[in-house]
Amino acid sequence: MILANSLFTRLVRLSPNIMMTIIAVPILGGLLGVMLPAMGWLPALETSEFGWHGFKQLFDTPGIMSMVMLSFTTSLISTLLAFMLTVLILASYFSSPWLTRIQRLLGPILVIPHAAAAIAISFLIAPSGMLSRLMSPWLSGWNSPPDWLYPHDAMGLSIIIGLTIKELPFLLLMALGVLAQPGIGNSLRAQHRVALSLGYSPMTAFAKVVFPRLYPYLRLPILAVLAYSSACVEIPLILGPNTPPTLAVAIMQWFNDVDLSLRIKASAGALLQILITLALLAIWWLSERLVKRFSVNALTNGKREYADPLWQRMTQLLTLLLLCVIGLSLFGMLVWSVAGFWRFPAALPQQWVSMHWQSALVQMHTPLMNTLLIGACSTFLAVVLTLLVLEAEQQRGKKLASLSSVIIYLPLLIPSITFLFGLVWLQEQMHSRNAFINVVLAHLLFVLPYVFLSLASSYRRLDPRYSTVAASLGATPAKIFCQIKLPMLLAPILIAIALGLAISFSQYLPTLLASGGRINTITTEAVALANGASRRISAVYALMQMFLPAMAFLLAWFIPNIIFRRRYRG
Amino acid sequence: MPLKSTNSPYNNGHLSTSSPGSLQIQQLVLSRQGTPLLSLDETIKGGEVLTIMGPSGSGKSTLLNWLAGMLPLGFTATGQLYLNTIKITDAPSHMRHIGLLYQDPLLFPHLSVAGNIAFAMPKGDPKKRRHDISQALSQLGMRGMELRRPQSLSGGQQARVALLRVLLSQPQAVLLDEPFSKLDSQLRQETRQLVFDLIKRHQLPAIMVTHDETDANAAQGKVITLA
Repeated sequence: MILANSLFTRLVRLSPNIMMTIIAVPILGGLLGVMLPAMGWLPALETSEFGWHGFKQLFDTPGIMSMVMLSFTTSLISTLLAFMLTVLILASYFSSPWLTRIQRLLGPILVIPHAAAAIAISFLIAPSGMLSRLMSPWLSGWNSPPDWLYPHDAMGLSIIIGLTIKELPFLLLMALGVLAQPGIGNSLRAQHRVALSLGYSPMTAFAKVVFPRLYPYLRLPILAVLAYSSACVEIPLILGPNTPPTLAVAIMQWFNDVDLSLRIKASAGALLQILITLALLAIWWLSERLVKRFSVNALTNGKREYADPLWQRMTQLLTLLLLCVIGLSLFGMLVWSVAGFWRFPAALPQQWVSMHWQSALVQMHTPLMNTLLIGACSTFLAVVLTLLVLEAEQQRGKKLASLSSVIIYLPLLIPSITFLFGLVWLQEQMHSRNAFINVVLAHLLFVLPYVFLSLASSYRRLDPRYSTVAASLGATPAKIFCQIKLPMLLAPILIAIALGLAISFSQYLPTLLASGGRINTITTEAVALANGASRRISAVYALMQMFLPAMAFLLAWFIPNIIFRRRYRG
Repeated sequence: MPLKSTNSPYNNGHLSTSSPGSLQIQQLVLSRQGTPLLSLDETIKGGEVLTIMGPSGSGKSTLLNWLAGMLPLGFTATGQLYLNTIKITDAPSHMRHIGLLYQDPLLFPHLSVAGNIAFAMPKGDPKKRRHDISQALSQLGMRGMELRRPQSLSGGQQARVALLRVLLSQPQAVLLDEPFSKLDSQLRQETRQLVFDLIKRHQLPAIMVTHDETDANAAQGKVITLA
């Protein structure tokens, strides 16, 4: 390929390096900024003596073992549950139209921010939540809210429910994405039919024929989910116990403590967090090997049915239960946001008011503007950078080096709580005092991988002959990029923008930390309000959190249709 | 691969299409990973069609890619390419003035019929451009279809728009990559005749890659069969 040497092509050629720098420097710097204090080096406190006292403090913390166990069990159990439910749903609805219907019902959950989902679930299972109201008094006999600890139970059951409900749609969508690829999906469906014709019942046929080939495609998403849930902050903060919380939440509290000496303990905790995440990944990987080893013979033992009708019934029941939980949570939140006086066992409020919306919308002005502005800036940067990098791939005629593609996804694989504090330290060292810029750069770390993930396949799939034809017609590379590729990719670009906005809108920890608490967004406000006094105001904020990404996706879906209709008369 | 900057060989924009040009391939050797794939040394005069035939894998499309300035990674070439006695071996695609016609019309789906053609035309007075487009469309029996979307056209109409798009970009040479293989036989004959007539009328040197004997016969030029 002979390249013209214009400003555009030079910019394009440079873009992969820019992208790698934007991602790798904050993460590696951030990790360094956590490792040094963990080893006792924190010049701000005039301690620069290397040693293990950070870890000693950490392990002397009362309840540290329960924190670790809580992180461990909640993430492992929720991931396992989400995975098993995904497989059961796939197996029982594999060749039924219900599969796409369930996908359509669960899909929107994907774009609901974790904080909003957690708030919705807390409304469902709280003592005076929807669940106990619907059961009372006819079933439970309660005339006043029951004395239970949910949603802050010490075992972390609420966290598990919250994580499972957020993870399941993601895994299901990933699996359906694999099945939608013509090469894999069609052959798997054909093989499923072959197994059926050999007398295997549908679910067993799925388990023995489809699943072994499908799983390798799901491994990475599962590990990502596991890593995320082991270190996420929003859900355990809203749905988890307070004393002791999960390790990630505790680390966050130590870092934010006015007592700066706790930073050494927090840094040690961040390193422990990395170990926990790694251990979880290793456990999953090991169990996978064991299961494979002990089930490989069962694949060919000729047994054609394993109580299939029972499993089928159970799956239907679980799916229904899941949809009910989600539906009731959302409904409950909607009702709370307009509820006036609401006596306990009544399922609906006695009074409907719009007061909460009115007062929240007034208070919300600044956080809303911040949310939109930060989202717009980080998404714009991410989309432009991604497009340039993908264009660089095509100009060079080969894909990104595998190291680069690993770096792009680093922010998704490394628990953010472990490098974000280091990043803040790094930004302090670089005297970057502009909170807004710091927040945008921090958001960019999480927006970029998703935008890249969502744009890469459509960009790479675009028939290269369109560019060849355009070039043979005398169009410069810049003209081809702007006038051919971008318009042809309008729909996927808009989807990527919507996704980028949704990711940015939902960020809690990066916003909180990079701004030093000086910039409030809808999400930070929603989390702050979640454990506060007014459930009604909290409901408004959580609904707003859902409304924003939903709007972004609606627009992304709508705009191409309008443009298309307007462009042609014939 | 060296990324070389080359200024346009055509300082005065585009040359008049009436003067017969020539496309000269000088001692070309194309190799894949160091193994020679094909060698060629040909001169095609304006209005002539050189037909290249051969099984898949014989390097036909690699040759076209080289001619278009789009040789993929892994391939190397020695030899020179001259268009109207100007060396364009190292010129980037968009400065070569070589038009490409594929078996698929590859009309840009986000542009109307007129938009597709206008994209290809040199800059100029908007009114004149519009007039030229309408006239060209009418000449090929597509009067009034300027604002249609490409997807709404029949296969033959799409092929004709693709052809117009190439011609109105005022190329100095044309490459045809199995240009008729997706058309049914009646349409194929008509379109083929149209393409060859226009190539002759505009005195363009052309290279055609094809599987089809009848295409080769209709081109009435030299035929090279690659092993």
